[in-house]
Amino acid sequence: MSDPRDNVQQEFLAEAQELVEALSRDLLLVDEAHHRDERVEPALINEIFRSVHTLKGIAGMFGYKHVGTVAHALEDLLDDLRLGRMPVNQGLLDVLFDSVERFQRLLALDDPQAPGEETGVQQYIEAIRNLGNQEPVQPGDPVEKYAIDPDVLGVLTEYEEHRLRACVREGLPLYRLRASFDLVSIDDSIEALREDTREEAEIITYLPSMEGGNDDTIELVVLLAARVPEDELRALFEPRYGKVDPIAERTHLATLPPRATSIPVLSIGPVAEDGGQASLRSVADSVRVDIRKLDHLMNVVGELALVRSAVNRLVDKFKNDLTYRQSMMDLDRIGRGFERQLSELRTGILDVRMVPLGQVFNKLARIVRQAARENEKQVRLVVTGASTEVDKLIVEELTDPLMHLVRNAIDHGIETPKVRQGVHKREEGTLALNAYQKGSNVVIEVEDDGGGIDPHALRDKAVERGLISFGAGEDMSRQDMLNLVFLPGLSTRTEVTDLSGRGVGMDVVKTNILRLGGMVSIESEPGTGTKVTVTLPITLAIIRALIVNVSSRTFALPITAVREAIPYVPDEVRTIQGREVITLRGETLAICDLARLFGFRRSAPRGDQFVVVGAMGNRELGFVVDELVGQEDVIIKALGKSLSSVRGFAGATDLGDQRVALVLDAPALFTEYFDDPNAFRAMESRP
Amino acid sequence: MSVASSDTLVPEQGRDGATIAVLGVLAGNEAYGVPLSSVREILVPPPLTEVPRADEYLLGVVSVRGDIITVVDLPKLLQLEVVHPEPYGRVLLVDNGQELIGVAVDSVIQVYRLEPHQIEYATTMGTDLSDYVVGVGRVGNDGSSSDSSDMLILIDPVALLGGRA
Repeated sequence: MSDPRDNVQQEFLAEAQELVEALSRDLLLVDEAHHRDERVEPALINEIFRSVHTLKGIAGMFGYKHVGTVAHALEDLLDDLRLGRMPVNQGLLDVLFDSVERFQRLLALDDPQAPGEETGVQQYIEAIRNLGNQEPVQPGDPVEKYAIDPDVLGVLTEYEEHRLRACVREGLPLYRLRASFDLVSIDDSIEALREDTREEAEIITYLPSMEGGNDDTIELVVLLAARVPEDELRALFEPRYGKVDPIAERTHLATLPPRATSIPVLSIGPVAEDGGQASLRSVADSVRVDIRKLDHLMNVVGELALVRSAVNRLVDKFKNDLTYRQSMMDLDRIGRGFERQLSELRTGILDVRMVPLGQVFNKLARIVRQAARENEKQVRLVVTGASTEVDKLIVEELTDPLMHLVRNAIDHGIETPKVRQGVHKREEGTLALNAYQKGSNVVIEVEDDGGGIDPHALRDKAVERGLISFGAGEDMSRQDMLNLVFLPGLSTRTEVTDLSGRGVGMDVVKTNILRLGGMVSIESEPGTGTKVTVTLPITLAIIRALIVNVSSRTFALPITAVREAIPYVPDEVRTIQGREVITLRGETLAICDLARLFGFRRSAPRGDQFVVVGAMGNRELGFVVDELVGQEDVIIKALGKSLSSVRGFAGATDLGDQRVALVLDAPALFTEYFDDPNAFRAMESRP
Repeated sequence: MSVASSDTLVPEQGRDGATIAVLGVLAGNEAYGVPLSSVREILVPPPLTEVPRADEYLLGVVSVRGDIITVVDLPKLLQLEVVHPEPYGRVLLVDNGQELIGVAVDSVIQVYRLEPHQIEYATTMGTDLSDYVVGVGRVGNDGSSSDSSDMLILIDPVALLGGRA
């Protein structure tokens, strides 16, 4: 937040990024409609046009020359598209999809003017031009002879558009009526208007005008096709409703260049302005906020909580003093109210940070399309739960790992149509992205119905690479074998013909997910498919934690990782290969004595302690603690860089009174315990 | 308690001819000088939370107005053979170029303004000193004192704290 120029730059990049994402999302919808042979909504094309148009504008303002050039060329193309001068086809869609990648690359450049990009941009523009040339210009749409704002045309429903064309073909002149309506009864009034004038005119559409009207009324601009001469029409409408103006016919249609100019065909009348303002208004309903500002607000809330606890202490101190008793009781009550509001404020700020996973899924949909084309595979993407919300920070960090997973599923999971035919599967493979909330976690599944992973092949490969010993490989369970996929440096072939393997990047995926405080697990059935499940906390900033004491030190354990707490009975502890276990409801539970793990001297005698049963994915581990203090919402703060090499802590939290408790990193402790047994044993054998 | 707001602040790496302001602190039996411009604040040590499994010179973490700050033990970091009979006197909040680090010292002496002739740079001393030792400041009356208690070991906090981060 230092250099104001940087700030401005960031603002631009954020906005440009959003526009490109919107572009990508809309293109996918167009693509979908096209593939189903459905008519592409003109509004959608118009939306795309708008995104590109805005992008062009802001790119010019911030000196992103190449972005501007590409946007400008696209704008021409899109203008033709939305005015129906060019049909939607595969070649066009490819060029449009290409633009998304291109914009993203150009936006990522350090130097927005980089001369190195010149050729690429030129080639792309050439591609756009060629596209235009291939398509013969369609004979003019009858509606085009009227100077109707494209924005208006863009928002016509299918029926309205149909009626508009029909009226124009019939040779009925078009008029624009401006009339005010009472907000309360607007629907009825318009219906009445329609009925009243049925004989004389047809109401094609109406749009709110932003000029007239007050709190109770709204001014509408109504588009009419008249069956009666202009003076008769005026006589009918003007006394009762409002002013009627004819919509001018374009006189220069014949001289219009076949491929349109970059300037959208605008009418100068009020309709154009109204359309523009209406859309501006809808955009203004949301604001873009730097996430650091929210972090700051959250810090302030934390500070307020400290103030509150300081007041509490004062109350405690004086409440037994008869002189102050009544005042203290009042103060206590006020304090409680304050606390409630504070908690609402905190929930509110957290809520602002939440964004739907759909943002990531849209990016993934593009990857799916691209990967499928590259591999000449047919993939159907099925998305559920796109509206599931998670913290903005998590969404951002999630894109890369999910991209890996999706790519892997298509590159190595789903078979080619030929292979699929051979094994009696549908030629089209299915890739499912499912998201849902589970307690305070969000679960994301990436599931394919492809070839699956052979666990034994994976194990053999790991042994061959020397990643595990032959002996260790011998008594591995099926699940353990599958988990080998997350080992760094393991790239397996699931089929003989596969050159690269599913192992690529899976270790990176796991590292990234762990860093977010999540877990990743894999299930696979050879021949049937593979499912990778990512479990994440909904938010990073505030977590509900179980506060525990270990050797007089306080720790916070994220409640998401806690299943239950049970008394610790030393007599019931057994060991398996030197590791302590207890039996819980007939099942073996590995336990980990935190005091011993952290090398503390024990302060409580063994016996009065508790086992906090933690669960992550399908694994359970009991943590032995001295005391359960209670549950609390804590603001989790990162530890400094100097402590980044210390394992086992997700951060720290201020408990008030300036006391700091370390927040245990449950996923890391699980990983340490289960995946890195040697390191853990060495730790355990400490006195 | 913030020194940043005081008027004693002058450029840290003064060009030749400029005065340098340093904060003199005691660590063990040695007096060290930290550029005043890198010291944000001097704190009475807040309650310290130790971090298990961290390096020995890392004392733990403290909360400073909601921010979690890592605290290092200056004598241990400097590998001085010192036993602390008493808890730390002060914690300096020092900017190491990456983050704020708490530096625990035995006590704070005072702010010194060193004239160029009072500074002896490490490069001219010819002894085998750690890279974080910038030089020595002579803080005796006229800079010619031979009494070693009037000597400040000038350290570069970025090299000392940033290097280990």
